[in-house]
Amino acid sequence: MNSSGKGDIIIDTNELRFIEGHARLQVRMAGGETVAEFQNLEGPRFLSRYLVGKPVEMAPMIASRICGLCYTAHSINAAEAIEKALGIKVSKEVRELRNVLYLANNLRSHMMHLLYLALPSIKGVISIFRLRDEDLYREGTKLLTKSTELIEIWGGRSVHVPNVVVGGFGAAMKGRQLVSSVNDLEGLMNDAMKFAGYAIDLDLPELERYRTLGSLRNPGCYPTYAENASMVLNDGSLLTSNEYFDSITEVTKYYSTSKHAYFRNSELTVGALSRVILNKRHLKPKAKELAERVEWRMNPFLIIKAQAVEVVHYMEELITAGQRLGDIIVEPSKDGVVNSANCSASQAPISDCEGTGRGFFVAEAPRGALCHACEVEGGRIKSYKVYTPTAINSKSIELDATELVKKFRPLGVEKMKLILEDMTRAYDPCLSCAVSLDIY
Amino acid sequence: MKLAFYALTSCEGCLTTLITNLGPNLEGLWRMFDIDYFKLVREPVGGVRIPKADIAFVEGAVVTDRDRKTLNEIRNNSSFVVALGTCASSGNIAYTASRAVDLDAKHLRDLEISPAEPLSSVVAVDFELSGCPVSAKEFTDALLRLINSMEPIQPDYSVCYECRSKGNPCLLDAKRVCLGPLAMGGCGAACPTVGSPCYSCRGPAVEADLNAYLIVLEKKGIGKERALMMLRMFTGKKAKELLKDEQ
Repeated sequence: MNSSGKGDIIIDTNELRFIEGHARLQVRMAGGETVAEFQNLEGPRFLSRYLVGKPVEMAPMIASRICGLCYTAHSINAAEAIEKALGIKVSKEVRELRNVLYLANNLRSHMMHLLYLALPSIKGVISIFRLRDEDLYREGTKLLTKSTELIEIWGGRSVHVPNVVVGGFGAAMKGRQLVSSVNDLEGLMNDAMKFAGYAIDLDLPELERYRTLGSLRNPGCYPTYAENASMVLNDGSLLTSNEYFDSITEVTKYYSTSKHAYFRNSELTVGALSRVILNKRHLKPKAKELAERVEWRMNPFLIIKAQAVEVVHYMEELITAGQRLGDIIVEPSKDGVVNSANCSASQAPISDCEGTGRGFFVAEAPRGALCHACEVEGGRIKSYKVYTPTAINSKSIELDATELVKKFRPLGVEKMKLILEDMTRAYDPCLSCAVSLDIY
Repeated sequence: MKLAFYALTSCEGCLTTLITNLGPNLEGLWRMFDIDYFKLVREPVGGVRIPKADIAFVEGAVVTDRDRKTLNEIRNNSSFVVALGTCASSGNIAYTASRAVDLDAKHLRDLEISPAEPLSSVVAVDFELSGCPVSAKEFTDALLRLINSMEPIQPDYSVCYECRSKGNPCLLDAKRVCLGPLAMGGCGAACPTVGSPCYSCRGPAVEADLNAYLIVLEKKGIGKERALMMLRMFTGKKAKELLKDEQ
């Protein structure tokens, strides 16, 4: 990796442990200034470039491969962007089904991050398996297994789900199994509350720094997957999703395989903490109860607590969604085939279409607002763009690192390294996602 | 016995599949083996160095110089190297995608990026577990055989075999391109079961016969252009051999 940065390296974390993908953080002193570089070391796979020229129906399947943790968000956003470009309106039922997948995927991603990645280091152990006799591990594992099972049943596979297609939802749906898979969640509510309780009560470092926070806003409910959501900032201003998209610029960094995405040429923090701070009042009752136990400030370490609150919220949302779904699901006929005429959720798949247009979709993926945008010409993709939350948060990670070094310098380099690593990890960065911005 | 799990350039979907789908069995592995490297699960033994291992499972394609260096080090330190998933065994989508990009562009050159390659282009690989993502069950079967000093086995049937035994309606009959007849089985026909065509993410089946497949397409009145495009997608480097007459 080319390292022509100015100044002396004062801290180098080496490859960060317990994060998705490969990255390191270096802090330099240059002319009395402290500068931090969040370096993505992950190789690019050129997926958004690869989509160009492909038939539209391939977009969700290819976009899914961007990330092994939030694949459902990528495939649903891709399907929605294409549908918008083609002027396809999907039914309310399809939206309900996609909503369940979105929630289940966010839940799984948060659980994976909290249980396997974030908590061990905070608890001072080398692996979550060192805590395998504790309730924390038992409850956490139950939730992770359950969320994986939900994705498997609803999506057709636990990772890279084939059930999200342009124009609708995969054909065969096992109605009874779908409904009971959601009803089971009631039995796990206690585990979720206890697990989230541990995270809420953690003693975390203080690192408050003012910055712009951004989260989607969905009238009357907590934002996850919704049509035409707008972006709200902590100064109270509201942007349409198009205005938000237009405010993002891509910045190439000589030290990183991924670009950073700047908002209005500056930083924006997206993700669980921003969502909780800006949409607290829309949390479901039990999640809200938990959220009230925390004094929310702009401290990146609190992202962990915000994710814990969301774990409970997603469980509650899923249970409500399950109740609504009772009316939608149609049992397959005896030969196992769902009759599309009876089920408005499985529409005929789109293939060999000739449509032309532009489409764009934004939703709250586990790590924050995720944008997919495309141009379609004659049924083929003409251009494709992805703005991932990690690319947006990269600048905040660097600014927090600088602040952290200023504040914790008396602790010495070795201790600071560990806190820097914990801080970066709290953002739950996903380097595979970040590298999927087109590289030029 | 020492196990190690690595990821090169990938989405890490194979490693997360193991974590979430093995469920309580992953804890079993932790008790039975010394897992010295698994970045998503534990602090690595030996810090930044690659530890010695009896079996190394490696996810991802080789894209950066860093990937190449790590992979060589893994090979030198491991008795048995298993490619985990399609990126590692064929290069996956990145194989074709990276060859369509000008990698000499200044920024990319500075970042030392080369066209994506499967592990086998760089080091000797002892076994390949295909799939995008890999199947947790196949991983377990392979591990069980390995620890009993037996060579793991690849499924010797196509996706069609599993799809038809599930009683799914054939997508080719509905005049949709599906690569099931050419694709290695073992996935339980996950995609056709929900009505999405097979893209052969696990690579070609042992007896894949492209000519016979193209005749079937013709008989059913389906154009072959789409099928060939789909075949190049996941099959990466392995498509070369299969498509040698179709260039």
